[in-house]
This record gives sequence, structure tokens and C-alpha cells, in this order.
Amino acid sequence: MSPAAGSRRGARALSWAAAAALVALPLLSGKFATYLGVRVALLAIFGTGYNLLLGRTGLLSFGHGGFYAAGAYALGLCSLHLTAHPLPGLALALAAGAAAALVVGFFCIRASEVYFSMLTLAFGMLIFAVVWNAREITGGDDGLVGVMRAPIALGPLRLDIAGERAFYLLAVALLAGSLWLAHRLRRSPFGLTLAGIRENPVRAEFAGVPVRRYRLAAFVISGAYAGLAGGLEVLLESNARPTMAHWTHSAEPILVSLLGGLHSLLGPAVGSLAFVALREVVQRFTENWMLAFGVVLLVIILGFRGGIVGAVEAGLRARRAGRAAP
Amino acid sequence: MSAPLLEVRGLSNHFGSVCTARDLSLSFAEGELTSVIGPNGAGKSTFINLLTGHLPVQAGQVLFRGRDVTGLAVHQRVRLGMGRSFQIANVFPGLTVLENVLIPALALAGRAGRPLSRISGEREAREQAQGVLSRVGLGAEAERPASALSHGDRRLLEVAVALASRPALLFLDEPTAGMNPVERTRLLEGIRALSAGGQTTFVLVEHDMDVVFALSARVVVLHRGELLCDGPPERVRADARVREVYLGHEVEEAAP
Amino acid sequence: MQSIVHVVLAGLSNGMFIWLVASGLTLIFGVLGVLNFAHGSFYMLGAYVSFSLVRALSPHFYLAMLFGPLVVCLAGWAVERWFLRAVYRLELPYQLLLTFAFVLIFDNLVKIVWGAGALHPPPGLGPLEGSVEILGRKFPIYSLFVIAVGPLVALALWALLERTWIGRIVRAAASDREMAAALGVRVPALFTGVFIFGTWLGAVGGALAVPYVGVLTPGMGESIIIEAFIVAVLGGLGSLKGAFLGALVIGVLNAFGTRFFPAFDMALIFLLMAAVLLVRPRGLFGVARS
Repeated sequence: MSPAAGSRRGARALSWAAAAALVALPLLSGKFATYLGVRVALLAIFGTGYNLLLGRTGLLSFGHGGFYAAGAYALGLCSLHLTAHPLPGLALALAAGAAAALVVGFFCIRASEVYFSMLTLAFGMLIFAVVWNAREITGGDDGLVGVMRAPIALGPLRLDIAGERAFYLLAVALLAGSLWLAHRLRRSPFGLTLAGIRENPVRAEFAGVPVRRYRLAAFVISGAYAGLAGGLEVLLESNARPTMAHWTHSAEPILVSLLGGLHSLLGPAVGSLAFVALREVVQRFTENWMLAFGVVLLVIILGFRGGIVGAVEAGLRARRAGRAAP
Repeated sequence: MSAPLLEVRGLSNHFGSVCTARDLSLSFAEGELTSVIGPNGAGKSTFINLLTGHLPVQAGQVLFRGRDVTGLAVHQRVRLGMGRSFQIANVFPGLTVLENVLIPALALAGRAGRPLSRISGEREAREQAQGVLSRVGLGAEAERPASALSHGDRRLLEVAVALASRPALLFLDEPTAGMNPVERTRLLEGIRALSAGGQTTFVLVEHDMDVVFALSARVVVLHRGELLCDGPPERVRADARVREVYLGHEVEEAAP
Repeated sequence: MQSIVHVVLAGLSNGMFIWLVASGLTLIFGVLGVLNFAHGSFYMLGAYVSFSLVRALSPHFYLAMLFGPLVVCLAGWAVERWFLRAVYRLELPYQLLLTFAFVLIFDNLVKIVWGAGALHPPPGLGPLEGSVEILGRKFPIYSLFVIAVGPLVALALWALLERTWIGRIVRAAASDREMAAALGVRVPALFTGVFIFGTWLGAVGGALAVPYVGVLTPGMGESIIIEAFIVAVLGGLGSLKGAFLGALVIGVLNAFGTRFFPAFDMALIFLLMAAVLLVRPRGLFGVARS
């Protein structure tokens, strides 16, 4: 068996184990664990989309909190002023995230490297400033409050998502869909072309690829994921807050991608699980969650750049090699 | 004889106060293997960068098959049939050899943007990519990561990536730099065969005089951004000015 | 009229703090090629350490101002020597995220040592108390002092880089690392030195801010680093001239925004940065790095 096939099998086994654990979690534990499960799922959707940009296309954006917030406020406003039905709200959230990313991306995509990162940071903070200041529409620093979690009604079908468990299952289903889409994108010609742009943008241009347009497409897709995650958070917490657009929130999908592994499909999802779990555990014992996470981050950057998934894969490979050799 | 494959009219370029191209006008005919030579700083790389769109043209015109391409983006020129390789091996290091060649093949077929179909199902592009790999002698390496190739093989792969766009005109920027003699011979034979095949017209930028005079039907000499001499190898070799500014320089260097 | 003069003066003194942070940031980027998120943390550490020293060494205010930033330089040395050096050859995201990890670590350490709440330096802490009358309204002397310090630092930096032997080496290493190394410059040591010097500039900004800002919080580094980023990017990363001008513009624009368009004060800066980068993708005085 080739090592590539081996690592694929390892990744698959890991993914099923993670999926099973994720779904089983609320069935085994209480309400708070279910709530945390939803948070993991939302962060994983955010991160999975984001990593199509960072891990796949090689672009480091510091503005995705802005698209998250665009989705959140889109759903919040839709729910408060148009209809409380979650489906149009979520569709609108997704579209708002994509649209915001399209506008911002149009301006940022021409900048290279550090300038791209800084420009996205500035636009993200611009969204933060707008949300903060447009008090009449967004509620300013109080945010949008009082969003209901209405049932999903499809003709005669009524899906009540007010309960934590039902909402958790909805979030997991949407995460599964997000992962499936990311998976398809990664193994498509489009995904290969994005990887080519990451590896060598100049060569990609000379291979006949309109690099800017592809980068923009990846940017918009990741923005749509962010918008969806933002909309879901409003349903979860029943409010939208300007801090969602703040750059410290934009750092979260970067951190979970890195934690889980930049170069694997499941990296950001695994990273989200680890991130939320770590935060809960550390906060139980000490106030110093940021310190702990900073140290974890250092360890990953200096020693485990493949992230958790990369380390597990390397471990599986080593074990197999050990078994193969007598 | 129809319009030349590529025509350059009055091309000029400056970097600050340094002139890297001064009112260059010349054309490349289909099927004629041409080498561009000149001492360091003659503006050879700039010349290629200008023609392929890697650098914006400050003054002058570039016509490809009679069509003005001066304002076109790089990828648009590639689609029209202009390709290039780089001085430093310039491939997609983290991808496999086959994937390296698939990217231009998919882009050429207009299928690179398909978001939901599978790579494994892109039969035509895969066949084309495999064909290009075997033509340059990398057929057996298809599944290896490009970063694992030897330096010479990586240069070959770069030529393969360029060829996969099916260029009518292909610029090779010092293709044999850093190669060992065996690899060099292999690559030159390949270029000769491909050139004779007639689908691609090659323009080489070269340092190595043996390569230039062995392969070229025509030699263009640049010096400080200006066209110094242009003609068949024998005539260029005999040209007094070329001997003075270029070969003389070489001879001096070569003398112990 | 008088209110406009006062708004400009307030903007200039705010701008000088941003300049002190941005100068170190852009110097480090220019030479090392690393954009340091933790630079705001050095500013914050400079403020906290100096504040503690002011209390310990009271009434020797100047000694505290001198030693506080030097203590912070130790942190800068540790970051460069033991961590940053390991990631120079990695891609940009890893470098940025490494420095981001230090933002988390330093912010948290400050909370552990000094508490999570705000610290309020008592009024009349430093020298240069009181105010002078400018166009019929009072203006703090200390702010005038800060406005004077900024250009002095700029001048000193310029002289250091353009007129001294060490400045020539730094500039050579900035434009071509390999060449400098080939000429016998010990590039790693030089990088450490430049990083420590940049750290010192940021920490001095923090120390000077102690009597000025009136409140120290563990988040003060995060807010100034964003402003310093904007200033450095606006002026062109690596350009000290650009950072100085950018800091003046942002400081004054900020002051006008707060005074006249309080609803847009934050948005104004980000819009300006976006607008400049659209016209000049590498900032006002930026040059392409080879």
C-alpha cells in the first residue's frame, strides 16, 4: 500500500471517528455540552470556508469577521423586520457574506502578500466601525437583540429548532453540507487550480489561469461560509454583536485552521473542536486562557505545522512503517 | 508569407534611469527557432517579460498573429498561444508532476473553473497532460511531488508545464542553466524535435553559446536594451560589433 | 479657529505616539521582512513597566522612563532570538501568527502581573505638569513636549540610518541580505539588534504615554497596533518617512473625526487607508521588496 493511500485511509478513519463523537456528544451529555457542540459546528463552518482561502489558495485574510458579521446582521434584520422563518434568513446571511466578500475582495485582491492581509484587516474593521456607528439600524454597541428561533416550515412540514438538541442537529447537518462542498471543491479542477495559485501564482498566470479572478472566487466562497456561520450564531445566541466583525474575531478561523491543519479538509473542523474544548478546560482551571492558547499556538508553529490532523497522519504513517518493517 | 507570428514595434522600457529596451522592432516567423543573446544586463529577460506581459509595456506595440496584444493580461496571451519558462525552475512544488501539467491543460480546455466535477473525471485533460509528460521524458514520474524531482527534471517539468498550454510561440529563458551535460543534451534534443514537429515556434534566451549555435536558425543580439545584430548564426558570429561587445567579452572571460 | 488649532495640536500629540510605535514596526519590517503584531504589546509593556518603575523610583521620573523601555527590550530580545529566528524561512502566515501568539501571551501576562482592570496613573505624575495658554485656551505642556519628541526621534533615526556606519550596514542588509552576508555582515546578530531597537522605540512610546493617557488597560496594545499598522501601510511598509507622515495624518484626522464627525471617526481612517492603497498598492513611499 502506498503511503498516500495509507494517509487517506487514516484521514477517513479519523473523520468518521470525529463525526461520530460530534453527533453523539449531546446525546450523552447535558444542555451545556450541546451548546458547546453548536459552537464547535459554527466555528467549524467558519473555519472550513476560511481554509479554502488560506490553506488552499494561500491568502491570509484578517477581515473575515466582517463577513461573519454581515451574515449575522442580515439574518438578524431579516428576522426582526421581514420574516422570522430561519431559511430565508440563513439564505440571506449566506448571500450577505458573499456579497460583502465580493465588494471587499474586489478592492483587496490586487494587493500582494502583507498588503492583502492589512487591506482585509482594514476593510473588516471598516465593517466593524459601520456596524458600531449605525445605531439606528444595527443597535450600535448593544447589537441586535431579541431574534427568535422560529420553526422551519416547509409546506406541511414543521421543524422545531427552538430546543438545543434540534438546533444542534441542524448545525451539524449544515456543517456536514459545508464539509461536503469543500471536499468537492478541493478535488475539482477549480480546487487544483487554486492549489496551483497557492504554490506559484506567477506560474499559474503563465499556465493561462486568470489568477485574480480565481482568488476573488475563493474569497467570495469563504465569505459565504462566514456569512452562514454568522447567521447561525444569531439563531443560537438570539443576538448579533459588532465584535463579530472585530479583527480579533477574524483571527479565530485562522487559529482553528492552523490548529487542526492547513492542508487537510478536516483540519479546521478538528481545530474548532480542539479550540472550544481547550478553552473550556483551561477556563475551568485558570483565568489565563489567552496565555495557554498563545503557548499552544507557538508550539504548533514551531513544531507541528501540519496541525492536529497532520500530526495524527504522521503518527499513523510511522506506526504502519514500524509494522511493515519487522 | 502571411503575417509573422509575433511582431514587436518600437518597444521601449526604463527602470528609473536605466534603459532596458530602446525602440526595439523585430518579428518572429512561424517555425524559425530563434535565440536571443547578449551580455549580462543586455535586457534579454526584460525583453521576454515585456513580450509575455509579465511587465507592462511603457512604449511600443506587441502583435501576435497580427493582433495587438500589448494591453492583454498574461493569462490572455497564454490562451492565445504565447508561453514561457523562467530562468529559475518555476513549477508548482507542492503538487504532483501530473497535477503540474494538468493545471495548464485544464485552463487551456476552459475547464479549470469547474467547481464540482472531479479531477479524476477530466479524461481529455489528463490524457493531454500524460502525453506532454512522456514527450519530455517525465512519464514515469507523474505521481511524484514536483519538489522531489532533481534539478534537471524540474526544469524539464517547467518546459512541460509551458507545453501543456499548447503554445504556438514558446519563450524559454535559459532552459539549460544549472543542468548537467546529460540533462542538457536530453533537453536540447527534445527542443529540436518539438521545433521540427512544427506545432511550436521556440525563442530561446541563452547564455551558452554552444546551445545557441547548435540549435538556432536565427540569432538576435541585444546590448543595453538595443538591437545590435539580427541574422543567421554564421553572420552573427562574424559580425564585428557582436565580437566586440559580446563575444570579445566572452573571450576575455574565458582566457585564463 | 481656536478650536481647530486645538484639535490639530491634540491630533499631533496623539499622532506622535502612533509614530513611535509605527517607526519600530516599519523599521523591523524593512530590515527583517516581518510584520510584528506583538509590537503593540511592547508599547503596552513599556507603559506598564515604566508606570511601576515611576512608583518605585519616585521622584526620579526620568530614571524610570529610561529603564522601563530597556526592560521591555529584554522581551524583544527573547522573542526575536528564540522564536522569530526560527520562522524567517517560513511563509508569511506563520510569521504573522507567531507574533500574534505573543500578543495573546503578553496581554495575558500583563493581566497576571498588573490585574485585568484599568490602572490610573495619578495626575501630576511626571514633570512638565500644568498647561499653557494657546489662543485663549489651555493646552497641556506635556502634550507640547510629546509633539516635540516625535520629530526629534524622526531626525535622530534619519541621522542614524543615513549618516552613520551602522546605518549603512542596516540599509545594506535591508536591501539585500545575501549580499550583506557575503560582505561579512553578521546578519542574524544585526536582525536581533534591529528588532531590539524597534522594540525600544515602541516601549518608549508606551513609557511616554503613562502621564498622557491617564489610564492603562491590558488592551491598549491591541488598539494602537491597528493604528500603527494603518500608518505603516499608508506610508509604505519599511519607509520611516512614510510612517512619520502617515502618523501625522492619522493623528490629526482622528482628532477631527472625533471632534466633528463622531459617528464616523473610526470609519474615516480605514476608508483613507483603503483609498490610498487602491491608488498606490504599496503605500505612499513603499518600494517593492526583492
